[in-house]
Amino acid sequence: MVDTFSAVIQRPNLLTFVIIFLWGFYIMVTRYNLVKKLIGMYLVQTSVIYFLVSISAKKGATVPILFSATESVQAANYANPLPHVLTLTAIVVGVATTGVGLALCAAIYRRYGSLDEQEIIERLE
Amino acid sequence: MSHQLPAILFLLPLFAAISMPVVCLKHRHWSHPISVAVLVVMVLVSVLNLYNVAHHGEVRYVFSGWTVPFGIEWVADGLASVILVLLSVLSLLGVVFAGPTSPKSLGGRIVHYYILILLLISALTGIVFSRDLFNLFVFLEVAAISSYGLVGVAGGRALFAAFRYLILGTLGASFYLLGVSYLYAVTGTLNMADLADKIPLLLDSKAVVAGLLFMFIGLGIKMALVPFHVWMPAAYTYAPDSVSPVLASLVTKVALLAWVRIIYWVLNASIAIYDIPILLLVAVLGSLAAVIGASLALAQRDLKMMFAYGGISHIGIILIGIGQGNQTGFVGGIFYLLNDAVMQAALFFLAGVAFCHYKVRTIEDIGRVGKQAPWLTGSLIVMALGMIGLPPTGGFFGKWQIILGAIEAGSYVSVAAVLLSTLLTLAYFVKLFEAIFRQTSAPLDVKFGEIPLSFKLTLGVTSAAIMILGLFSSPIVQMLLNHALPPGL
Repeated sequence: MVDTFSAVIQRPNLLTFVIIFLWGFYIMVTRYNLVKKLIGMYLVQTSVIYFLVSISAKKGATVPILFSATESVQAANYANPLPHVLTLTAIVVGVATTGVGLALCAAIYRRYGSLDEQEIIERLE
Repeated sequence: MSHQLPAILFLLPLFAAISMPVVCLKHRHWSHPISVAVLVVMVLVSVLNLYNVAHHGEVRYVFSGWTVPFGIEWVADGLASVILVLLSVLSLLGVVFAGPTSPKSLGGRIVHYYILILLLISALTGIVFSRDLFNLFVFLEVAAISSYGLVGVAGGRALFAAFRYLILGTLGASFYLLGVSYLYAVTGTLNMADLADKIPLLLDSKAVVAGLLFMFIGLGIKMALVPFHVWMPAAYTYAPDSVSPVLASLVTKVALLAWVRIIYWVLNASIAIYDIPILLLVAVLGSLAAVIGASLALAQRDLKMMFAYGGISHIGIILIGIGQGNQTGFVGGIFYLLNDAVMQAALFFLAGVAFCHYKVRTIEDIGRVGKQAPWLTGSLIVMALGMIGLPPTGGFFGKWQIILGAIEAGSYVSVAAVLLSTLLTLAYFVKLFEAIFRQTSAPLDVKFGEIPLSFKLTLGVTSAAIMILGLFSSPIVQMLLNHALPPGL
């Protein structure tokens, strides 16, 4: 028990990721307002992106450009650039999804005059 | 030249989609012939690609020449090429069908429709070819965003369905991305072949198991597997009539293909995670989906809703075939996937014709126009034969192969699930035919006239294809056995 607890405390980045992810998920499930649902969705996406960035962090490392052409390469001095590239792409995807979601919200509001899920469902029937 | 074919197949619809707003800004009526022309070319190129792959072996395409495992790799193997022929033919039919339906059902947003559908087709091409997990994620999301747009393009009731689809689809994509980052954190690679070397040694790692689980949940949402299917029927039912055939026949099947890729190409299919064989898991999920989907279809009154639940049950039947872990079952599953894509397209074409021309949405209404609609009734009979799985159609031979595979694997629960789902399918089609032939509801006096040529064309071609897939099932199954099997099966 104590071991598990200290293992969790020693990984604050993973703890933060889990909290943000579950928070976003909770908002998506419990809120009736469509824009709040979108905010929850965006939190979930952001938490995954945060996780990707945090696993690629390395103490004392820098951009992957060689310091000198003659010395041998010390892998410990360089950060892996790939997760950052993946993160950029994932951010773009997230922005596009949120954009489509907001456009749908606007269209729903214009048609039904409400953003409350239950009111909209009542009006559909 | 031939090694560029995968990239050409992807770029054709992509460039058409990007240039569409510029070219068709002033001339909206050009968008239909341009899309049809591009897709005809795509069909020809995909057939050429299949011929090339069948005769000269698989084509590996590495983007920018960055060597694997660092660069992004696409592989046109037998399975991908067969699926791509299916994809291009069905999307061509979908766009041909959209000609007369689109002005009414899309509310004037015709150019938007063609841009989004071409984008969707190019993204699906990417999913079929890609051998890089992150690349797969990007294409899944491009396909999903185009689908959200397509479902909501005409406004109205579809907007809310599109919003729910967006929320659940994005949750699925986040789960998938989370799974990919877990695997990347452990193995440091995203290439499927490279992962296939590393993962079998790492199955004790909780991170790998959790990553695989997250990826499966994510893709399960995308392909409307039973516990995660809630977005699918509403989205496909309220989507415009020119949109739902393409979505229903292709999007879920291609997500399923991505799942098959990960199970057979990344993982060694025979592995067990914590003593649970993953193929058993696939077969059990498939059996549940097959039975639950078909029973839910039985309860529907709306035609499109019924066909959408039918699609959910057929996803299950495909998974039963995939999950048997022998050649017969796998080929049966893939062959049934081809059939099911054609049948779903055919059923939604039929529902589209029924609504656009005869103003029919529910089972009661179809009884009123049955006598006046020979094309509708005729093609419905063929589709029903295919969906139930009676001998001259492809559906029969697909199910037959799957059952043979299940018997070979000794999994009698799977056999029972396929049979039960077949009985339930029979039941909901009997309900439909009872409405048409027993004339319980009074026929309408309205004269409807001939249906347009493109409706006849799409209904005729898809009905014929259901038959042809059955009549030529043995050469197709043989070709799948020769070229489309995963490594190590």
